Amino acid sequence: MTAPMNMDQTQQATVVGYESRPVTKPPNWHGLVTLDMVLNNLSTGLFLVAAVGELLDPVAFGPLAPLVYPLALLFLLGDLACLVLDLGDPKRFHHMLRVWKPSSPMSLGTWVLSAYAVPVTLLAAGSLLPFAIGGVGLDLVRRALLAVGAVLAVAAAAYKGVLFSTTAQRGWEEARWMGGYLINSALGLGAAEMLLLATLSGHEAAMLDPLRLAARLLLGLNLIAIMLLAKDVRGPLSAARGPDGIASLALLAIGAGVILPFVLVGAHGPVGVAVALGSMLVGAVAVRSAIVQMPHRLAEGGRVDERMSGRANPGAASA
Amino acid sequence: MATSELEVTRRPAAADPPRRLPILAERVVAPFRRGTPPEPRPATGFYTDTTVCIGCKACEVACKQWNQLPADGFAWTGNSYDNTGGLSATSWRQVKFIEQFDGDGAGHPDRWLMMSDVCKHCVAAPCQHACPTGAIIYNEFGNVYIQPDICNGCAYCIAACPFGVITRATIDGHAHKCTLCFDRQRDGLVPACAKACPTASIQFGPVDELLERARSRVEELHRRGETDAYLYGDRPGPTYSSLNSFYLLVDRPSVYGLPETPVNPWLHMKGDYLRALVSGLLSLAVLVAALLLGGAHR
Amino acid sequence: MPGLGTSFGRGAATNYQQDLAHSDCILFMGSNMAEAHPVAFRYPMMAKARGATLIHVDPRFSRTSALCDVHVQIRAGSDIAFLGGLINHVLTHDRWFKEYVLHYTNASDIVMEGFRDTEDLDGLFSGYSGDGRTGHYDARHGHWSYAHTPEEAEEDPWTGSTPMYRMHRQELGMHGHALDLGPSAHAGTRQATTACDIEERPRDPTLQDDRCVFQILKRHFARYTPELVSEVCGCTAEEFVRVAELLCANSGPERTTAICYALGWTQHTTGVQMIRAAGILQLLLGNMGRPGGGIMAMRGHSTIQGSTDVSTLYDSLPGYLPQPCADERHERLDTYVEDEGQVTGGWSRFRQYIVSLLKAWYGDAATPANDFGFGWLPRPDADYSQLPYFDRMAKGGVKGYFLFGQNPAGGGPNARLHRAGLRNLDWLVVVDWFEIESAVFWRDDPEGPPASEIKTEVFFLPAASSPEKEGSLTNTQRMLQWHDKALDPAGDSRSDAWYLYHLGKRLKQLYAGSTDPRDQPLLNLTWGYEREHPEQLPDGTPSRITDEPDLEKVLMEINGYCTDEIDPRSGRPRLVSGYDELADDGSTACGCWIYSGVYPEPGRNRARERKLGSNPLQPDWGWAWPANKRVLYNRASAAPDGRPWSERKKLVWWDARAGRWVGDDVPDFDVHRPPDYRPPPGATGTDVIAGDQPFIMKPDGVGWLFAPGTVRDGPLPAHYEPVESPVKNLVYPRQTTNPTVRYFEGPLNRIAHTPTWDFPVVATTYRLTEHYLSGPMSRFNSWLNELQPEMFVELGPELAEEHGIVHGGWVTVETARHRIEARAMVTRRLRPMRIGDRVIHQIGLPFHWAFSGEVVGDNANDLTAIVADPNVSMHEVKAFACRVRAGRRDGAKPKPTLREALWPARSPMPDTPAAAQPEGRFVRGD
Ligand SMILES: Nc1nc2c(c(=O)[nH]1)N[C@H]1C(S)=C(S)[C@@H](COP(=O)(O)OP(=O)(O)OC[C@H]3O[C@@H](n4cnc5c(=O)[nH]c(N)nc54)[C@H](O)[C@@H]3O)O[C@H]1N2
Ligand SMILES: Nc1nc2c(c(=O)[nH]1)N[C@H]1C(S)=C(S)[C@@H](COP(=O)(O)OP(=O)(O)OC[C@H]3O[C@@H](n4cnc5c(=O)[nH]c(N)nc54)[C@H](O)[C@@H]3O)O[C@H]1N2
Ligand code: SF4
Ligand code: SF4
Ligand code: SF4
Ligand code: SF4
Ligand code: SF4
Ligand SMILES: [Mo]
Repeated sequence: MTAPMNMDQTQQATVVGYESRPVTKPPNWHGLVTLDMVLNNLSTGLFLVAAVGELLDPVAFGPLAPLVYPLALLFLLGDLACLVLDLGDPKRFHHMLRVWKPSSPMSLGTWVLSAYAVPVTLLAAGSLLPFAIGGVGLDLVRRALLAVGAVLAVAAAAYKGVLFSTTAQRGWEEARWMGGYLINSALGLGAAEMLLLATLSGHEAAMLDPLRLAARLLLGLNLIAIMLLAKDVRGPLSAARGPDGIASLALLAIGAGVILPFVLVGAHGPVGVAVALGSMLVGAVAVRSAIVQMPHRLAEGGRVDERMSGRANPGAASA
Repeated sequence: MATSELEVTRRPAAADPPRRLPILAERVVAPFRRGTPPEPRPATGFYTDTTVCIGCKACEVACKQWNQLPADGFAWTGNSYDNTGGLSATSWRQVKFIEQFDGDGAGHPDRWLMMSDVCKHCVAAPCQHACPTGAIIYNEFGNVYIQPDICNGCAYCIAACPFGVITRATIDGHAHKCTLCFDRQRDGLVPACAKACPTASIQFGPVDELLERARSRVEELHRRGETDAYLYGDRPGPTYSSLNSFYLLVDRPSVYGLPETPVNPWLHMKGDYLRALVSGLLSLAVLVAALLLGGAHR
Repeated sequence: MPGLGTSFGRGAATNYQQDLAHSDCILFMGSNMAEAHPVAFRYPMMAKARGATLIHVDPRFSRTSALCDVHVQIRAGSDIAFLGGLINHVLTHDRWFKEYVLHYTNASDIVMEGFRDTEDLDGLFSGYSGDGRTGHYDARHGHWSYAHTPEEAEEDPWTGSTPMYRMHRQELGMHGHALDLGPSAHAGTRQATTACDIEERPRDPTLQDDRCVFQILKRHFARYTPELVSEVCGCTAEEFVRVAELLCANSGPERTTAICYALGWTQHTTGVQMIRAAGILQLLLGNMGRPGGGIMAMRGHSTIQGSTDVSTLYDSLPGYLPQPCADERHERLDTYVEDEGQVTGGWSRFRQYIVSLLKAWYGDAATPANDFGFGWLPRPDADYSQLPYFDRMAKGGVKGYFLFGQNPAGGGPNARLHRAGLRNLDWLVVVDWFEIESAVFWRDDPEGPPASEIKTEVFFLPAASSPEKEGSLTNTQRMLQWHDKALDPAGDSRSDAWYLYHLGKRLKQLYAGSTDPRDQPLLNLTWGYEREHPEQLPDGTPSRITDEPDLEKVLMEINGYCTDEIDPRSGRPRLVSGYDELADDGSTACGCWIYSGVYPEPGRNRARERKLGSNPLQPDWGWAWPANKRVLYNRASAAPDGRPWSERKKLVWWDARAGRWVGDDVPDFDVHRPPDYRPPPGATGTDVIAGDQPFIMKPDGVGWLFAPGTVRDGPLPAHYEPVESPVKNLVYPRQTTNPTVRYFEGPLNRIAHTPTWDFPVVATTYRLTEHYLSGPMSRFNSWLNELQPEMFVELGPELAEEHGIVHGGWVTVETARHRIEARAMVTRRLRPMRIGDRVIHQIGLPFHWAFSGEVVGDNANDLTAIVADPNVSMHEVKAFACRVRAGRRDGAKPKPTLREALWPARSPMPDTPAAAQPEGRFVRGD
């Protein structure tokens, strides 16, 4: 008298044993963290390009300052907000600053971000002041702030990558070039942002060509970075997303993130450039969220697969 | 069990810093306060002999009771008798059950392996390394301890632990794990789980004494022909430190849900920073070049 | 426990749990010690560490099996076949302990002419009357006794006795709460040996005589060959022989083997005989009375040993004195003692014990003139043990019921019938910690009728928990341990003693002044347990509760005192130092003779003592009955000449110079009786015990291989199938089940009689470490519930496949009584067996779930049946027939009666001094 298997049973088949489950536990980092990474790079990238530009060619880049640094500051504040909100206990965000612990990328990062906030804020404030900043002394200070800010920005853009790659999570621990990718993609974004601001503000065209060239070259580098990243994490990545997932990811990361903008940055007029920046962002978000999600997917994945195969006790399996 | 416990000699617990400020200010200031560092003491830990574990879960209950941890739901897993599912912020011990009966081809006699898992109290602990607030410390007993009122739930330690020991409690948003009964040790007591273990599967004490005991036990087992017995975590490997909470196992680590060869993520850190720096500089160079070539500054 | 009582003299575990550490081999059979006695299991683990071999013979591969060196799977209910095989192996391979068996057992006794064995009568013994399914043995007409028993014993001691008296004699030894290991240390008709002159009795030291016990034994067990064992039990002959060899190799002068059993043996209609078989085996191997040997009855819940000792059982008085029954021979003390006492052996002081008991209960009102109030004792006129009682209740035969600390609606076999019984009461008082099934059956039983249709008025009284009250617990090893009150119980909760004491006081008030003879037992009852000083808590503060009775006074009464002597130290009657002091003239009172000595002098409660010393037996930790002896019959640890069998296994021996028995333990023997003492002709009392006869409670001082007429279902164990089994009896094809089982069949208690084809699967029930009994003490506790949250059934992959059952899915189990659903735990720990020419599957059901508590589920006991074995009215929840199918059952499902409390929750900001520590101070770098 064999009864038909009813729903309960198909739902009920369970994982047995420990070998098929991932050992590590994912930290439950999701959207906020992805957003934080993007905002971080939008801020640091923009600041870097602007700062380097202004250092090289104050005449051409200077006038954009009132637009650029406040914007960089806004992105940064958004970033910090994400970081705080993602804590289990946001009321205790300040505990981050009770120790200086460079051995911990997160501690280092927190300090770097906070330090980076200083020049950005000052510059933003400075450039917003009604009267133009004159005088040799002040100019020196400004240049100093730009230089220091640039150095901190590089660190701020890169640390998150190392933060991820120095965990025990599958998909992160392998990602040797994560930091490299981030800093590079930050600069790419920065160039595109700058380009957009320039076209919008209709400032003198002198800086457009160099920015286009910079953007294109950086996109080229970005392609390499993506490849290096992909090479390291392809194993866990395919486990987490499956072939289709990989294909769509590649399309977004390279198609939208690199090729399309490579073409579009050439466009004259704000629309084309805006679209270019937009599709770069799409690529950037795709890559970052893919990375962030990997261990979490794998964690569930373990179980999902099991449920599909409805594996029973070792004994039963061997029956 | 009582007869073989190595009691830690009593030491007075350090007093709380006095509260001088209103609660809110206290919350802001407290984490920055410093107390006097306690005297370092010989490192203590666990030697877990899985061959004598009877799977009674007394250790799990003792831990929950002593640390007043909540139950985490009534889910029947069907994974043999393990309904705990895993270590977490609210389950600091997990007794694992592995049924190995003929047909799984491993060529050993039918057996039902039982093992009480816990934080490994790594000598070089990635979680401690990761913690940005310094909530995770090595206390005077060389145990890895999360200061629950410092942790702000950033979850980095969770990502860093190669053994999946820590999670973040939904109740308070903080990370929790085995404290190795820090509070009990300070008062000269044996950890609750070890105290409750009826068969001395969990043995607590100074690590060096435990190591001696464990090694002679392995020899004993080998002499009796149980040659698959070995110690896990008793000595540092190329990629990981030794564990102050180590195990006597009779099958591959992965069978017990342990990593075959744990890797301390920080082995990569310098390299990864370097790579980031290199690509950073490269990108910057490209930017500068572009700006210059593109005709800026003419 | 007739099983042990008959073989050795006392119905209790013979050794102590710590002693298992000294065993060279331990056979766990019918015990799941690692799960049911996890803390005690440390001692077998110690033995294992010292190189001992642990063997588990069980239908399942349990957590105990996992820790044993050898596990043999057998079919539930086939133990006698396995044990019979072991006995046969020992006999045929000449592995028995010659000198031990010759001197310390009745191997050489000659049995009466008329006795016929199962060999001669196709599975029945002589003296049977009945239809083969149910009936009874008359030991005397079956000539089960020793040859040449003097004439006076030949004449019928039952002449002129009523049928009721016969019935009661037939059922002597039954106990209520039909659980655990039975009462009656000296069950049975006593004409067998009592009156006869031990020394004159014919014996054959050569063991050659055809009718000597040894030869009967040989013939009886000859058919239990390894091949037969394998056929009946479903294990391989090799597995069986391996176990046999291990037992033999680890017995003898130098080594000892212990046997641990529990419900896997007792909860059968053949349980007593399983224990008898173990007794025979241990006697042949010479393991009784020796360190690391003996038989450990692993007893049940807290102080169940104590409750049979002081007797909560309807049919026995404290100290295993049989309850007099409604019959003229039991009307007067003299005839009662004549029938129930013995002329020789330890029980010859019967009169002292019963008279002292009556003095303890009725005080000054008990006088020689009124038979010491013997007439006031209630006289049962029928079987009032739990199962028949609830059967009666279900038929509307009971009005009101007090329920202290028991949950029959969940834990009772055929719990549905138990619930039907409760629904038929007018009133029910439940004294408990929790709102258990038995208290909420009228509201929460998903299958019961609507509450409006239930007339039972239920009173729930909150009980104090163990730490909230003082008292003593008697554990498996007969040890009393006193526990003090740690804190006051919450609210109106009170100790059980409080409820009973004040109930008694009010009843006495109610009937005060009555001259109605019917009220005299109540009015004359001694009831002076008031506290002299207000109760104090350990922290020195006075208790909130002022009217708790003084339980130490109760313990002093149990210990016994002289009624005519005042102790200057206390100003109260002088306490006796032990039962040797008890007299039969009313000059002593003693509430329970076997406990006498627990409170030997004012202010010295030995049950409270916790001294650890160098003596491995730790005699000053608690106090064990009798007389603080830790290993019973320990005289047998020395050879007949009084010297230890071996240095390695010495315990008690004869010190010729000191002229007394010495050693680590209190000698379980007259300390001054030399090994070469021989009783003078016509000796009576304990004088008949020769210097080389260790089993002093036996009328003839030796261990009984053959039980001359004291067990209800035969002088020797014989394998019968459980009353519900899918297979025929392969040992005695003509006799299927135990011919003396009693049935209570009815619509609520259908039986699928053996062999049944409709229910082809063998089912057994058992415990999990994580839960306690029917669940009240665990299913209200989140910490335990999360460890085993749901009812499940363990079954093998083959059976699962056959019925399309998926691991983790639902399975429905059905018996002749009812059907339940549970999760399917498909596991190789149970495997199909070849029984005869058929493949038989076994399933295992934990019985911890029911319909009240934080987690609920279907109850295994809704499947089980009520039947009663002839000796102790034991049911058979360890082996019954069922069928399984995939999927859930229809009908209402139980819902939790308690909200899931993730109690207790950790506070979000635990303040810990450690927070003041500078981080990283002790970092050791990588
Ligand atoms: N954790 C926990 N401990 C307990 C209890 C509890 O409920 N939970 N209850 C206490 C009480 S009251 C008691 S009485 C004891 C009982 O202690 P045990 O009797 O040890 O417990 P059980 O699990 O009922 O049964 C023991 C074993 O008998 C096996 N068995 C079943 N049928 C047969 C058979 O026919 N032959 C043989 N050889 N074995 C068979 C079962 O598979 C089981 O492994 O435990 C006490 N300890
Ligand atoms: N199928 C199957 N059925 C079985 C068994 C089996 O093996 N299989 N085992 C049988 C055995 S061995 C036993 S012992 C029985 C046990 O069956 P029960 O005797 O019914 O045991 P519990 O279900 O634990 O119920 C005991 C009750 O006492 C309460 N209690 C605890 N301490 C105190 C106290 O100090 N005072 C008061 N007033 N109440 C208290 C608890 O809350 C609980 O409700 O089950 C039997 N039923
Ligand atoms: S096991 Fe994990 S949590 Fe425990 S000390 Fe090591 S790294 Fe930290
Ligand atoms: S979660 Fe708490 S303990 Fe873990 S790393 Fe963050 S702050 Fe440290
Ligand atoms: S040491 Fe203490 S905290 Fe750690 S598992 Fe044992 S009981 Fe729990
Ligand atoms: S208490 Fe000891 S024996 Fe019991 S499960 Fe834990 S480790 Fe195993
Ligand atoms: S519950 Fe009590 S009696 Fe039972 S094993 Fe545990 S400690 Fe012993
Ligand atoms: Mo029991």
